[in-house]
Amino acid sequence: MIPYRLSLDYTLHPGWLEPFVEGLRAGQAVARRCADCGRVSFPPVRICDCGSVDGEWVALSGRAIIRARTTGADGDFALVQFVGADTSAVVRLLDMPEGATEGQLAASDHDLPQLCLGPVDGGQSA
Amino acid sequence: MRDSQVIVTGAAQTPFNRRKDGTGFRDWALDAFEAARLMACLDRADIDALFVASESDVFSLQLNPASILATELGLTGAAGMRCEAGGASGQVAVHAGVQAVASGSARQVAVVGVDPSASSLSGDKMRTLYGFSFDAWTDGMTGLTATALYALSWQVFAAEQGLGEAALAAVTKQNRGNAMANPDAHLPREHSVDEIAESPMIADPYRRLHCSPLSDGAAALILTHADHAPAARRKAPRVVGIGGATDHAQLGARSRPGDFTAKQKAMARACVLAGIAPKDIGLTEIYDSYAGAQLQGLMALGLTGDVAADLHAGAFAPDGRCPVNLSGGLMGQGAPVGAVGVGQVATCARLLEGRYHPGLQLQSPPRYALADTHGGLCTTAAVTILENGGAA
Repeated sequence: MIPYRLSLDYTLHPGWLEPFVEGLRAGQAVARRCADCGRVSFPPVRICDCGSVDGEWVALSGRAIIRARTTGADGDFALVQFVGADTSAVVRLLDMPEGATEGQLAASDHDLPQLCLGPVDGGQSA
Repeated sequence: MRDSQVIVTGAAQTPFNRRKDGTGFRDWALDAFEAARLMACLDRADIDALFVASESDVFSLQLNPASILATELGLTGAAGMRCEAGGASGQVAVHAGVQAVASGSARQVAVVGVDPSASSLSGDKMRTLYGFSFDAWTDGMTGLTATALYALSWQVFAAEQGLGEAALAAVTKQNRGNAMANPDAHLPREHSVDEIAESPMIADPYRRLHCSPLSDGAAALILTHADHAPAARRKAPRVVGIGGATDHAQLGARSRPGDFTAKQKAMARACVLAGIAPKDIGLTEIYDSYAGAQLQGLMALGLTGDVAADLHAGAFAPDGRCPVNLSGGLMGQGAPVGAVGVGQVATCARLLEGRYHPGLQLQSPPRYALADTHGGLCTTAAVTILENGGAA
């Protein structure tokens, strides 16, 4: 057996997702609203279920309702629906109290576009 | 494909496990291919095309694996291509092979699935990489793991179906128990309910024992047009239906996040080709990356209308009306990713033909068997239906 170490430094380009990615880095929920049917998706869906490719970027409040939550050795994650969005999202939970039913999008501690949800107003969620 | 001319003349696999013997993926691929080729009674020169299933170059550190394996398997000159669809890589390679034979562009093909999923990289590195097998921008960057994503989907499904810990334990015990009679299995175990309940929590409600392992290994098929099959193999099982479908890559974009909708569509397409209904399936190898995924799959495939009741009644047990994962599935037999779908079809073919491991072989093989695989969180689904050719 031969140990072999490979270190890779990627330069990634988000393309059409740029507004979404930049929003996440700033802790803002930037969603996509279909120009034809008005459906709002977050994370953004490029081509709407109605078939339309036209849409505009809209800012949501960042508040989200928790629909399902999983905790364990892999971390704390949830399926949530951001207020104003017609779709759901999977997020990492940050310091979210057990039993919390809602949270607020949080800027990532890392220089990565991470979908993270923290307590509302930085305090306890109910 | 009701009058299918695509015969599974060869079907084989290596043991699935964590290799510590110094062998590599080229060795496993050759072992599986040679066993399948000999079963098919064919020479290497008879193979027109090679379809290789391998999920990621990052696992093997070998780009363009089809060209390497064509050389390693003594198939230089044959057409070669690599097929990839995440966890469904093996099954889509089977589909590519079936289409080549059915279309007449090849007389006989080899389908080889292989991955060093256990021994090349650490578990932590693999876990990180698998986060990028979902949407890299929305999931991978967030550090989401496969187990967490599957757990969230299962929670939605379980709430709708009235399922809980007992159902997860029943699947875990059955699959690992079936693996006890499979000498090629990675995790043959007789788990107690307490042992399962006390294993470490990975992503609630999934505990370590509810998860399939990462394995090393290979599987191979030889698919032959009936006009070119050796006389001894003309009654081997035939592929009568294939079907594939995709779903939204993001779980949250799905209107019903607990449902495996792509699997439902893939099964419908395969059944139309085969001219049968799901109730006609007499055994199945299902993609059980997690215990709950097996139950979500059974519902999506139409193999039950009440999964809780049928599970409790033993419908999916080895002596049930539709035995599920006699091999042990991914949970018991193991999961070298590219080999999984190929191995599932090989298992179904051997069971239909009466050539499976003696402790698991059905005494009266059914007419139809189903192999079911998916990639991502059932983002890419692929199923294959085989019909008994009368050899058993």
